[in-house]
Amino acid sequence: MIERNERKPYWRHTKAQMLTSLLPFVLAMIVLPLYADALNDKRILGIPLGYFLAVHGLIVIAFVTIAMFVNRQDAIDHWHGAHEDF
Amino acid sequence: MVTTTARTRLVNPRLGTYYGIFTAAFAAIVLMALMLEQLGVTDTLVRLVMFAGPLALYAAIGIACHAREPRDYFACGRRVPAFFNGLVLGISALGGAGFLALTGALFIAGFDAFCLSIGWYAGLVFMGVLFAPFLRKHGAYTLPTFLGRRLDSRLVRVVAAGVLSVPILLVLTAEARFAAYATAWMLGQSEQLMVAVVVVAATAVVLAGGMRSLTWASGAKAIVALLSLAVPATIIALIVSNLPLPQMTHGNVLRIITRLEIAHGVPIVLAPPLAFELPGAGMEPLLKRFIQSFGSVGSLAFVLMSFVMAAGVAASPALLPRSGTTPGVYEARKSLGWAVLVVGLVLLTLPAIAIYLRVLILEQVVGQAGGRLPIWFQLLQQAGIARIESKAQIVSVGGISFERDAALFALSIAAGFPQVLVYLALAGAIAAALAALSAGLVALAAIVAEDVVHGLPGDAAPDGTRVATARVALLGTGVVTLLLAIAAPGDPLQLLLWGVTLSASASFPVLLLAIWWKRINAWGSVAGMVTGLVATAFLILLSETGAIGLPSALAGAIGLPLALAAAVAASMATPIPGRNALDIVRDVRVPGGETLYDREMRLSRLKNRPPA
Repeated sequence: MIERNERKPYWRHTKAQMLTSLLPFVLAMIVLPLYADALNDKRILGIPLGYFLAVHGLIVIAFVTIAMFVNRQDAIDHWHGAHEDF
Repeated sequence: MVTTTARTRLVNPRLGTYYGIFTAAFAAIVLMALMLEQLGVTDTLVRLVMFAGPLALYAAIGIACHAREPRDYFACGRRVPAFFNGLVLGISALGGAGFLALTGALFIAGFDAFCLSIGWYAGLVFMGVLFAPFLRKHGAYTLPTFLGRRLDSRLVRVVAAGVLSVPILLVLTAEARFAAYATAWMLGQSEQLMVAVVVVAATAVVLAGGMRSLTWASGAKAIVALLSLAVPATIIALIVSNLPLPQMTHGNVLRIITRLEIAHGVPIVLAPPLAFELPGAGMEPLLKRFIQSFGSVGSLAFVLMSFVMAAGVAASPALLPRSGTTPGVYEARKSLGWAVLVVGLVLLTLPAIAIYLRVLILEQVVGQAGGRLPIWFQLLQQAGIARIESKAQIVSVGGISFERDAALFALSIAAGFPQVLVYLALAGAIAAALAALSAGLVALAAIVAEDVVHGLPGDAAPDGTRVATARVALLGTGVVTLLLAIAAPGDPLQLLLWGVTLSASASFPVLLLAIWWKRINAWGSVAGMVTGLVATAFLILLSETGAIGLPSALAGAIGLPLALAAAVAASMATPIPGRNALDIVRDVRVPGGETLYDREMRLSRLKNRPPA
């Protein structure tokens, strides 16, 4: 069980992790589709670059975001002793 | 590891074996149908095998997983491992809309339809970071129960039950229509009749075991949906590029499409920033280039739609109860990772299907004389999937209209596959739509039974009564869904988008504040939910009557900030929340310790125990 005086630092840490997970992803969600057309004359793996980034790239970013969040948040839980104890 | 014994003991170690058996049984059904087809058995029987076979398996799973305890009936006993939870969550989030309508929208509108697909997986990311772990820690069976406990107010619980039912009902109606659409194609019957078939089927599968039946039957449905998507796309990818990876190898085809579109003079169009013209249900012409962005959905509308969709999916009252089914908070987070992976794979396969279909049309139909069309296109015309509008001698791109929701299985027809593969694609769409439909039914029935029937007088009902009430509520929800789906006019995708936009504005802001802002109180949350619902519904009405230029699907983009502002303002204007509410929010934020709702139930059972 979490110590009483660990609650505040734990929540501060959790909030920071939430923002570092979501802000880059939200930024990518806005930027990548908007600039897709401009990048389409370059190609990667035979796929137009803008399309590739907005479709494949964004899905990969989403998965990396959530995977990193799961690992980082679990580390934060253990650091502050807030993890589940069973 | 010693520390994980208790948790791993909850999870059934033979789950993989069971689903292996199911997958083998399903493959056997498909192979049997293929053999029957080759042996010259009537088409009606093959269709029936492909429809009733998987359905019988879902029903068998659903009935085998009956439940008597509320914990099993409403939270699947909290024993669903992260992977299966994510699988089910992903497929029920997509539903028939993701499989049928999104493929069609991608095929017809090209890049612009990606605003929906981005919203879908972004919503799951938001759900995983913002909501799911905290809801799992609280462990409430429904969203209104959570809000009522968190804000320590029965009023909030009842208001939330009323407000959050609206988006669920809209999504239910849309998914029933999609399921009925695919079933009607599968069995060659009228759609009205099939609405009754699918709603009865979806209710029957989950009636015996509620969330428990839902989870394990939907796991099977998810496997069917994924297989049905992977098989045709992989075969075509092998033919086209020698690599069985449609998700990565449709690039060369995309280049051919772009070249052909330029050669056939498909215009580059630019929509105004707020335009939102996704193809509707029924016949839609191919008007713009596939890869060009913002031709039918404006740039601002594209970004707004992806955020509204993300907020709506993240706070969807039909999906969030699923976070309560995992053994712990860590698994609840992890299951969202799996969900993003599953949805991401699906959403990379759907554009490949759309692109393969489009290149077939551009290469073999466009530019041909009207009398010399390929046989597969004549088949599509006879089936009423494609139509040539213009009377000109030579077929042009703009002269072809296509049934939006048929694009998914039209590819199997166009590629000249055996009929069984067409029915396989349909079976997958039906499976996905049924998964979404049953998820909504279970969530709504739980809200009616737990928050309205037992929530009003208090929580003293005994276990048997709670489960029985939920079963009756499930039947009632099924009847209401049936009536709505028969009565609802118009495009089911539009209904789904309204449901999403309402969930984004009524559910998302209050849920966000309830977890991330201590100061919110009962008045603030009531104000937030009511403002979100009323403002968004009003905007949808205004938009549909043409009074404002905002597309109705984007009403949530205004409703969400309004609801957020209303919730904050009303909270600040009224006294700070009581000790009880603060205790709960402090406990919800920390993963360790006993699940709050389970502790509450355990204590109330101790209190009500007759003296020895």
